[in-house]
Amino acid sequence: MLLRPLSWVQLQLGVVLAVEKRINSPLLEPSSVEKIKEIDEHIGCAMSGLIADARTLVEHARVETQNHRFSYGEPMTVESTTQALCDLVLRFGEGDEESMSRPFGVSLLIAGSDENGPSLYYTDPSGTFWQCNAKAIGSGSEGADSSLQEQYNKDLTLQEAETIALSILKQVMEEKATPNNVHIARVAPTYHLYTPSEVEAVINRPMSIRRKSSLKILPWLQRCFFSSLQCKCTSLFVC
Amino acid sequence: MTKQHPAWSPYDNNGGTCVAIAGADYCVTAADTRMSTGYSILSRDYSKIIKLADKCVMASSGFQADVKALQKLLAARHLIYQHQHNKQMSCPAMGQLLSNTLYYKRFFPYYSFNVLGGLDNEGKGCVYTYDAVGSYERVGYSSQGSGSTLIMPFLDNQLKSPSPLLLPAQDAVTPLSEAEAVDLVKTCFASATERDIYTGDKLEIVVLNKDGIHREYMELRKD
Amino acid sequence: MVGKNCFAIASDRRLGVQLQTIATDFQRISKIHDRLFIGLSGLATDSQTLYQRLVFRHKLYQLREERDMKPETFASLVSALLYEKRFGPYFCQPVIAGLSDEDKPFICTMDSIGAKELAKDFVVAGTAGESLYGACEAMFKPDMEPDELFETVSQALLSSVDRDCLSGWGGHVYIV
Repeated sequence: MLLRPLSWVQLQLGVVLAVEKRINSPLLEPSSVEKIKEIDEHIGCAMSGLIADARTLVEHARVETQNHRFSYGEPMTVESTTQALCDLVLRFGEGDEESMSRPFGVSLLIAGSDENGPSLYYTDPSGTFWQCNAKAIGSGSEGADSSLQEQYNKDLTLQEAETIALSILKQVMEEKATPNNVHIARVAPTYHLYTPSEVEAVINRPMSIRRKSSLKILPWLQRCFFSSLQCKCTSLFVC
Repeated sequence: MTKQHPAWSPYDNNGGTCVAIAGADYCVTAADTRMSTGYSILSRDYSKIIKLADKCVMASSGFQADVKALQKLLAARHLIYQHQHNKQMSCPAMGQLLSNTLYYKRFFPYYSFNVLGGLDNEGKGCVYTYDAVGSYERVGYSSQGSGSTLIMPFLDNQLKSPSPLLLPAQDAVTPLSEAEAVDLVKTCFASATERDIYTGDKLEIVVLNKDGIHREYMELRKD
Repeated sequence: MVGKNCFAIASDRRLGVQLQTIATDFQRISKIHDRLFIGLSGLATDSQTLYQRLVFRHKLYQLREERDMKPETFASLVSALLYEKRFGPYFCQPVIAGLSDEDKPFICTMDSIGAKELAKDFVVAGTAGESLYGACEAMFKPDMEPDELFETVSQALLSSVDRDCLSGWGGHVYIV
C-alpha cells in the first residue's frame, strides 16, 4: 500500500497520529487527500487500505458517537467507539440492500482521550481490535513498528512523541517529508489536525530522541512481540 | 342511539411527594410511602424510590403503573449500557437518558413526576428535576408530587439557592452537612403530611455518599 | 398568624389581571380599627366594594354602640355580608385578624360565600395559599413574641410568593 500511517501514544498527555500520503501527480491537490479524520471532538482516526471503505466506517462512528451524546449527554469512550466500528465491520454480507456485500478492506488506528486518559486502538478488516501504546500500519509498518519498540517510552512528552513519530515516518518514506505529504494530528485531549505550518514546524525541529532505560524495555518488548505479529498479518491483508 | 359510557381515562394519580437535596459530597433523596387513589389509600408501604445505578436513585410520584413501566425500561437500558460500555451509568448520563425516555412519549406521556438524585463524576451531589414530558434541570434541591407546592417554598427559604440568572453561574449544591439535610427533609415531610392528604404513612430516605448507599425510615401521620 | 398577645397579618403588593401586572404597590390589607385588620384577596373591585360596606357597617356599629367591634363579631358580619350574595358572590377571600379587649389574638379566613374557618395558629388565603400552608406549617411556633413573629411571617410570605406566578412584588406586614 501507498499509505504509511503511524501512531503514537503518550499516556499522560495525549495521542499523536502521523501519516504519509503519497501524492502521485503534481496535478493532485494535496489537501483533497484526507487520511486522518475526526470522529468526535475527542477521537481521531488514521486509515490504511481502501480509503473509500474507511469513509463509510468513519461516518458510522460519527453517528454512533453523536447518538451517544444525544442519549447520555456524555462523550462515548474510545473503546466503545472502536467496538461499535468493529460491529459494523463484521456485519457485511447480511442480506438487505444497505449492508456491504464484502468485508471492509481497511485498517484503522483510532486515537482518543476519555475518562480513562488517552488511548490508541488498532482495528483490522476481520473486525478484531487491540489496544496499543504505539502502532504502525500500512506498507512500511514492519520497520516502523520495530523502531517504535525501540523508541517508545511512556514518559514521552507530546512534543517528543511528535518528533519521534515523524522521524520514524521519514525513515520509511521514499520521498522527503514536506507539509504536503505528511499529515499529523493529535488528541490531547481534543482532536486537532495540524495545519501545514504546524507540520512544517515539527519537520524543522531538531531531533533529540531520548533513549529509554533498559529497565523499561522488558515488559514492553513482551507486549510488542504480539502486536508486531499482528502487524505482519495486517499488512498482508491490506496489500 | 349511542350509549353514554362514563369517560374512561388511561391515567390515575396515586399521589405522593418526593424530595432530593444535593450537598458537596452527598445526596439525600426522600419520598413518602403512601399510595392512594382519590380518597382511598391503596398501600401504606409502597416504595417510590428505586436505585438505577450505583450512584443514582430516582424518586417518582404520579401514576405508579407508568412509574413502574418507566423504572423497568430504565433498568433494562442501564443493563444494556453496562454490557456495551463496561461501566455503571453516571447520574448525569442517567439524567439525560430519563429526559429522552420521557420525551419519547411526548404525546402519550408517562404520568410520572420524577426527581433524580445521585453523585456526578467528581463525587459531588446532583439533583435533576423533571416534568412529565422530559423537560429537566440540574438543581441543588427539588421537590415533586402532590406535596411539592407545600415543600418547595420552605426549601427555598432554608437553602436559598443562588438565582440561575446570576453570572458567573453559582454552584447549586447546598451548604448543609449530611445530617442537617436529612433533618431538613424530615421536617418538611412532617409539615407536608399535615396539609396534604396524599402524603403520609412513612418517609423513606435514601442517602448517597462516597461510602455508598444507605436507607432510613421515619413514621409519618397515618390519617 | 398568631403570636403571644399579638398577631401578624401580611400580604403581597401585586395587583394583576391574570398574567398582566397592573400595580406593584397595591394595598390588600385594610384597617377597621386600631386592633382589627382585614385582608381581601381576589377580584379588586369586589374587595374594595366589600371593604367599603364593611367600613360603613362598622361606623354604624360604633355610633350605635359607642365601642369598637370585637373581632369575632366583625367576622360574623363579614360572613353575613358574603352570604347575602350566595348565588352571585363577591369574588374575594377575606382574612380577618384582630386583638380582643383582653389582648387575645383572633384570626379567621372564609371562602367567597362566607364559610368561616377559625384557626389557633395561622390562616392563609389567595393564589399562593398552598405554598403558604407549606411554609407556615414548617415555620410556625406557638407563643412567639412580636419580633420573632414578624420575622417568621415575612420569611413565610416571601418564600411562598416567590413560588407563585400571580403573587409578588414585596409585601406588607402588620404586627399588632
